[in-house]
Amino acid sequence: MAFPLPRGITPSEIAFLAEMEMVTVVPRQRLEGLELLGGLVEPLVPPRRASIPLWLALLLKRQRRANIMPPAWLHPEPLGLILEVESQHQDYKNAFSPPPPLPGQPSVRDRDLEPTARPQYTPDGDRYYAAPPFLPQNTAQPVSSFSREPPALPFHWVEVSNMLLDAASDDLVDPDQIRRQLKDLREVRMAKMRSGVDVLDAAATGGGGVALTGVGAMEVGEERGFVAGVVDNLRKIGASKEQARREQMAEQRANGGYDGTQDEEEDYMEF
Amino acid sequence: MDIDDILASVDRGAGASPESAALDHQLLTRFWVAERAVSEVLPWPVPLMERMMERVRRQIETIEDLAASSADTDSSITTTTTHNPNLNLRLSILQTDLARTQYLLRSLLRQRLSKLSKHSMHYLVQLASRNKNPLLASSSSQPTQTTTSSSQASTQNLHPQDSVPDISAVSDPTPLSQPEAAFLHAHQSLLAGHYAGSFLGAFPRQLRRLDDNAGGTSMIQAPETREVVFVRCLGVEVPVAVGTADADGMEDDDEEEIGVTMRMGDVWVVRWEGCESELQLCSPVPPFHA
Amino acid sequence: MSYYDIDSILTDAQKLPCTFELEVPGLGILEGNPGEDIKPGTRIDLPLWLGEMLSIGARLGTSRLVTLDMPDALSERVMNALKAEPRTVDLRALAAHFYSLSERVLELFEEEEMVDVLSETFKRRAAEIADQAHNPRGAVGEGVEFLRGLDETERQLFRAAHDRAKEMRIWSGEAKRK
Repeated sequence: MAFPLPRGITPSEIAFLAEMEMVTVVPRQRLEGLELLGGLVEPLVPPRRASIPLWLALLLKRQRRANIMPPAWLHPEPLGLILEVESQHQDYKNAFSPPPPLPGQPSVRDRDLEPTARPQYTPDGDRYYAAPPFLPQNTAQPVSSFSREPPALPFHWVEVSNMLLDAASDDLVDPDQIRRQLKDLREVRMAKMRSGVDVLDAAATGGGGVALTGVGAMEVGEERGFVAGVVDNLRKIGASKEQARREQMAEQRANGGYDGTQDEEEDYMEF
Repeated sequence: MDIDDILASVDRGAGASPESAALDHQLLTRFWVAERAVSEVLPWPVPLMERMMERVRRQIETIEDLAASSADTDSSITTTTTHNPNLNLRLSILQTDLARTQYLLRSLLRQRLSKLSKHSMHYLVQLASRNKNPLLASSSSQPTQTTTSSSQASTQNLHPQDSVPDISAVSDPTPLSQPEAAFLHAHQSLLAGHYAGSFLGAFPRQLRRLDDNAGGTSMIQAPETREVVFVRCLGVEVPVAVGTADADGMEDDDEEEIGVTMRMGDVWVVRWEGCESELQLCSPVPPFHA
Repeated sequence: MSYYDIDSILTDAQKLPCTFELEVPGLGILEGNPGEDIKPGTRIDLPLWLGEMLSIGARLGTSRLVTLDMPDALSERVMNALKAEPRTVDLRALAAHFYSLSERVLELFEEEEMVDVLSETFKRRAAEIADQAHNPRGAVGEGVEFLRGLDETERQLFRAAHDRAKEMRIWSGEAKRK
């Protein structure tokens, strides 16, 4: 059966996904509301701002029917702050800068607060927790408009910035500066991703894993095949050892001595 | 939500409101990302796909109606251009939106068919054993077991086609859709017929099977559930299961061992078997896997 | 092992030193002496699948036909070289399917230390593979030598990393589509 694409969506498909992000536009003409398969599009009435999907914003922008307001994070100042955290901050030497919190997740500044996950319910009665690209991470002002929130790179930062610089650079503040900052960010984060090969063993054993919190969609897309290939082979090399460990654990459990947490310390590695 | 909207949505039947359209679109997108990523065929979400297909059908009608009225407009330019100057724009937006949704659906279906053809015997055996014989089904999560018994039962079989499990009596095709189950059986039968005609027919009878496991290697290849995936934790805490599909294939569902724990907002690289049961709580991170 | 996987079949064809424990009439053909018998103590390199089959008696507790030894590719000398500097060893010259062979051998022998050495080797080399794969100008200088010495698993890893990096550059407009 001919299906030419490898498993795991490709860079162009990741960009396709990022085009579902909501952005803020200032329409230059009226347009009545539309019922799309992707949901309702509010009526556009100049000069009132509106939130619409990025693909539609780009379509209108190319026809000069709207201007796109840069996402809150896509300005020289917040990018400078993020770059500083990313390259200078001791805590993030081997980790990505913290991503924007999910709904119900406390800000990085309130680490002690308990998170509460707030589900929606699907028509079939299942719980549903929204995640990017379906969170307002690229609107001109964060919906929570919590000024305490430090700037953070959204999940689709590479794709959104690339597309906006390409099609709407005249709507951005100092696009050349932004371009330079984004390039620096890409490089410092790519180096972190690369140095992570060392801890990938943790993902190669059952019940283990490696945290990549803060990583961007395109960054995962870029390294996906590599990371999976490395982990896969590490798992195969270590298969005999894992088997031995399993047998040992089964034995301990049979003797009532296994409490299920013995390897947690070893495996929980922040990367 | 406005009361008019509520009434309107009631008029159009359940699941037809714009809000549920947006939600279904999100569900479909997430399902596509996951299906494109993992090695197994994910359970076919029957109600969601029925709603999506119905909505696509209606949207095509809307677009056709609009295009027809746009054609009318062209023939009487003077009267209507001022009436609705945005008709072509609206049309192109609706068409783009439709094309995007169709891309998702097409890519999703093709990915599923490619997995089904790759692991065709595995899924056929799974379907046949689960539905045919409840006694056999309880112990048949291992394809190899069912294989051995079936090859013993019919050592005198003549054609490779005979090793294609019969799933005509199967009522519940989970994780497949009914058309996928039909595709799977037809595909494998054609393939077996082709093998028979081109080379297997010339082999001794006992070597014509397609589900043999002589020499310790099964001809039936299951998807690898120990491959890693990228997931984002959406619940407050989600534990990663140690996974039970080890080399011996021992299954102990009742007491699942737990490894590391993911916390809300985290993105992790973990084995697919470790988070498979928690898919509601940890969304696939786009490329999600290899 | 996967039934339809070519790499897995090729791995099974790689050779392992075997020593015969018993006399086997008529099997001299393995040594190149058709019609002769094989004497106990004879050492021959046999394909993995055959060696494994003949040694199976050992696991069943009955007397076995042959005992297996570590292949040269996994000798102590090689392990020491890998411990010293994993990136300069030409794995391909040792065995085209070096890691797959190791995985199969590790199923037969209990060698915990070898697991550690090989895991460490693979990680160090993988990091180098990633660097090489992301170099848009292609391999130069020492890189060429290193890439030539990759085993089959590593080659596939290089291809995965390289293809993705290229797709990325094409998507972002840094490179042109062919």
